[in-house]
Amino acid sequence: MELYELNLWMLMEGLKAGKFSASEIFTSCKKRIDQCEGEIHALITRTDDTPQSAKEGVLSGIPTIIKDNLCTKGIRTTAASRILGNWRPPYDATAWTRLKDAGAVLMGKANMDEFAMGNTCGNSAFGPTRNPNDTSLVPGGSSGGSAAAVSAGYVPFSLGSDTGGSIRQPASYCGVYGLKPTYGMVSRYGLISYGSSLDQIGPFARTVRDLQIVMSVISGHDKMDSSSFRDKPHDFTHNEKPSIKGKKVAVVKEFSGFTLDAPIADAMKRVQKVLADEGAIITEVSLPVVSKYAVACYYALAMSEAHTNLERYDGVRLGYTVKDARGIKEMFERVRSYGFGAEVKARIIAGTCLTEPTRCEEYYVAATKVRTLIAQEFTRAFGETDYILQPVTPSMPGRVGESDDDAMKGYEADLYTLPVNLAGLPGLSFFTGYAGGLPVGLQLIGPRWSDSELLDAGIILENHLGGPRIANGGVK
Amino acid sequence: MAELTFTPVIGIEIHIRLKSDSKLFCSCSTDTDAPANTNICPVCMGLPGTLPVLNHHVVEQGMLAGFAMNCGIRPKSLFFRKSYFYPDLPKGHQISQCDLPITTAGYIEVHDADGNLKKIRVHHMHLEEDVGSLHHSASDGRLEGADTSYVDYNRSGTPLAEIVSEPDVSSAAEAVEYVMTLRRRVIYSGASDVELEKGMMRFDANVSMKCSDGRWGHKVEVKNMNSFKALERAIEYEIKRQKKIMLQGGDVIQETRHWNDAKGITSSSRVKENYRKFIVEPDLPPLYISQEWIDRVAARMPEMPDVRANRYVNDWGVPREVADVLTDDKNLADYFEACVAAGANPVRASHWVRTEVLRVLNEKGQKISAFTVKPETLAGIVARVDGGTLSTTQGREVFDKVCAEGIGIDDAVKSLGITEGGVAGNALADIVASVIAANPDVLDEIKSGKDKKGKKLKFLQGLVMKESKGQAKPQEVAEAVAEAVK
Amino acid sequence: MNLTSEEVNEIALESRLLLTEQELAGAVKYINSFLDALQCFKELDLKDVEPFSFAEAIECPLREDKVIPFPDNEAILHESEHVDGSYFKVPRIMEE
Repeated sequence: MELYELNLWMLMEGLKAGKFSASEIFTSCKKRIDQCEGEIHALITRTDDTPQSAKEGVLSGIPTIIKDNLCTKGIRTTAASRILGNWRPPYDATAWTRLKDAGAVLMGKANMDEFAMGNTCGNSAFGPTRNPNDTSLVPGGSSGGSAAAVSAGYVPFSLGSDTGGSIRQPASYCGVYGLKPTYGMVSRYGLISYGSSLDQIGPFARTVRDLQIVMSVISGHDKMDSSSFRDKPHDFTHNEKPSIKGKKVAVVKEFSGFTLDAPIADAMKRVQKVLADEGAIITEVSLPVVSKYAVACYYALAMSEAHTNLERYDGVRLGYTVKDARGIKEMFERVRSYGFGAEVKARIIAGTCLTEPTRCEEYYVAATKVRTLIAQEFTRAFGETDYILQPVTPSMPGRVGESDDDAMKGYEADLYTLPVNLAGLPGLSFFTGYAGGLPVGLQLIGPRWSDSELLDAGIILENHLGGPRIANGGVK
Repeated sequence: MAELTFTPVIGIEIHIRLKSDSKLFCSCSTDTDAPANTNICPVCMGLPGTLPVLNHHVVEQGMLAGFAMNCGIRPKSLFFRKSYFYPDLPKGHQISQCDLPITTAGYIEVHDADGNLKKIRVHHMHLEEDVGSLHHSASDGRLEGADTSYVDYNRSGTPLAEIVSEPDVSSAAEAVEYVMTLRRRVIYSGASDVELEKGMMRFDANVSMKCSDGRWGHKVEVKNMNSFKALERAIEYEIKRQKKIMLQGGDVIQETRHWNDAKGITSSSRVKENYRKFIVEPDLPPLYISQEWIDRVAARMPEMPDVRANRYVNDWGVPREVADVLTDDKNLADYFEACVAAGANPVRASHWVRTEVLRVLNEKGQKISAFTVKPETLAGIVARVDGGTLSTTQGREVFDKVCAEGIGIDDAVKSLGITEGGVAGNALADIVASVIAANPDVLDEIKSGKDKKGKKLKFLQGLVMKESKGQAKPQEVAEAVAEAVK
Repeated sequence: MNLTSEEVNEIALESRLLLTEQELAGAVKYINSFLDALQCFKELDLKDVEPFSFAEAIECPLREDKVIPFPDNEAILHESEHVDGSYFKVPRIMEE
């Protein structure tokens, strides 16, 4: 067995026991990346960190990859956009600082959909990432590179960000575990914003226990992020034998009428049975507003926030620019028109449109009110149940390069993931098994700050369903 | 046909820089005089991924400024994003409390044309961040005609209070009194030094005209005034311009105009202003201010200048005009009160500060905060003059000596050769002059030669002796009086 | 309520975006289908609903007013191609 195949906790134990060295892990992972990257293209930038420069800490010498919308001091950070050019941030994102301080070694910056806008990882200025399980398929997005890297065995864990499903959906498509933490649990400082009130950084790994380890490092209050909460539970101590006995796990009544691809529908049944066998009570909750209005609400808010987050890209202070403009307006127009990709431009225009004075009440303000109803609906639901079980996506991954002509239809595929962001909840995307060689994931949602309980439940599911294997589709 | 009359309807927006060490949302210094682009960081440069963190002290400064204009404090306020593209605005939007500000309504009192007190209502005051500063390459340093501009982001993110008035102002004079009074009160509150020469106070005015025939002209926003004088001239210009248009039966166009201080005119701004509804700043939770916090800050609120001046007049008998001068500058008033606290007679001390201290400061081009003579020292001089051991003239000489050489009173007296307690020379002459001035009939009698026996002369000598509290030599008194009545 | 391509182009310009004909056609279609999707809000009675601000009560945290200079402003300047001396140099602001 090669070292790159080992999970995070196994690597940590092996290092501790002196079975192998950090250098050996590094070499093994590096080789694996060399072997697959040409085919998979999970990375925008490869970095030349070495384990020798790593700090002492729980993750000492462990290789990792982070999404390229997380700022890394002195290392090119692009958010997969042309507009950032060769920007080298003068500072580190807090989540990365915490990993680095714990000893992690950065192997590269992961590909993504530009500014995290997309769910295929095909919307990158650097070209698409491919699914390591089947390279003709998309890895999902927007954190597709981070998910693919873990799935293909580049590194034992990675970081992504999730605004409307951008961790959970690629985790499901690639066959790894991914956690979208409670909003406010992981500092957003240094995360290049898409929809600030929805964005949250989270980990990918090949075991749930590994997610616990990463969460224990990156979570917790940060004074640089005003939306980061103080005095909230973030104890991710691993429990060998967690129990779900007597806990209620609900499925959403309104979702029962929606079509699912067969493997996903099968997985829903199988997982309910596993949970029931473990003593959980399977029940049903009703989320009428969520099921009908969440998609519209989400996109209205995400775009309204996104267009203001993207106003700073004007070519003056950083990134791509033009030097021969005759006036500042021309400079701004040329920089932004060339710098942003089509999807980003469409969302900027939509966001600007929704917040125009004539439409603001009707759309933006209305969406903020619908969001209140959605959050209230979840609060009520979690008065009736401990967890909600639901799909991550209604369908299995599509082919690279295929695009849906009707944008809104594509957005509807996010119905199962984005309500979680609207209500600021934690969501775990977990592996349930393979169907026709492709991994199938499902999602477990809990109330705010139940992240560690979600992971405990994830351990139970992993014990019953088995974990994923390393995907070899990228090997030439 | 009756002649048409016009009433100007004016609202004023003021931006004041609040005093703090660090910026509104980051820990950079607010020193805008530092070399260009040295007080910058990822946050105030709007770099991707950065987030704002609110400065506690600035919130309190905002509360103090709000109190200074008689505003209430809102228990919950919010920040918004106000979008526009401009190279001095790093994020492409300004974080501003525009839609749910920290204060509720307030007012400032001014005098109307008839001299009566009138309230100019303050709609609200809110906190927001300032933008960077631009320097233009044109030979006159102006924006128009400049092919390139240079941006310095040291000012980016420094804290501002924006104060929006109701359209209660009816003339340029009222406008100036409004902003001067407001400035004085804000300085008093400690919220800002409002140094005008450093651009810490900037004005925009909304001007429209109501005609006696019922017509009401459109509102014109005049921008770019950086001094009281500019505000006054811009409003006067705009009133005249709009009146002329309306007299000719024309329509005043609703627009934004820029004040050109060099030319003394307003001109239509060709930049299209896009009004945008603001989205809530998602990176900042609501600002909650408890009553307990409000009370704590309110307790720090010093006495406002008008209240203070009234106290000087009513409690101490200081003349109104002197009281107004003293309270115009908080530090000067503080100095005066320190003199009184050190035992000086308030009325006498008020005159001393009003005339002598201000004279010396003027000569030296100094501020009261840099004045080297301690209030206790001035109080000592005033007390000696009051007690008669120094004449007014001697007191002035001693004061000048103390100012010039930084020595103590006793040393100054000695080096001036004044025999303290022996009233002589100028001090004696002062007394003689005042005694004679108080007895013109006696003087007339002496001059007319009726005082053959010298009784009247003796009478005057007696009065002088009494005034000098017996400290003058009889021989010198006799000589001085004899000299004075010649 | 459909937006015309002129209106969409106007909004694009406001966002400092110049669209090609093809991009504009795409944007018009995109925005109109998006606005259609948002019509569903009208089915809800939102009159007495508070706009959402945060998922749970949180107060704006406040920072002490203490100067902590950023150690490397040169690294910030280094990233711009418009730096001239210690300033950022930009082309003509006022339109001719």
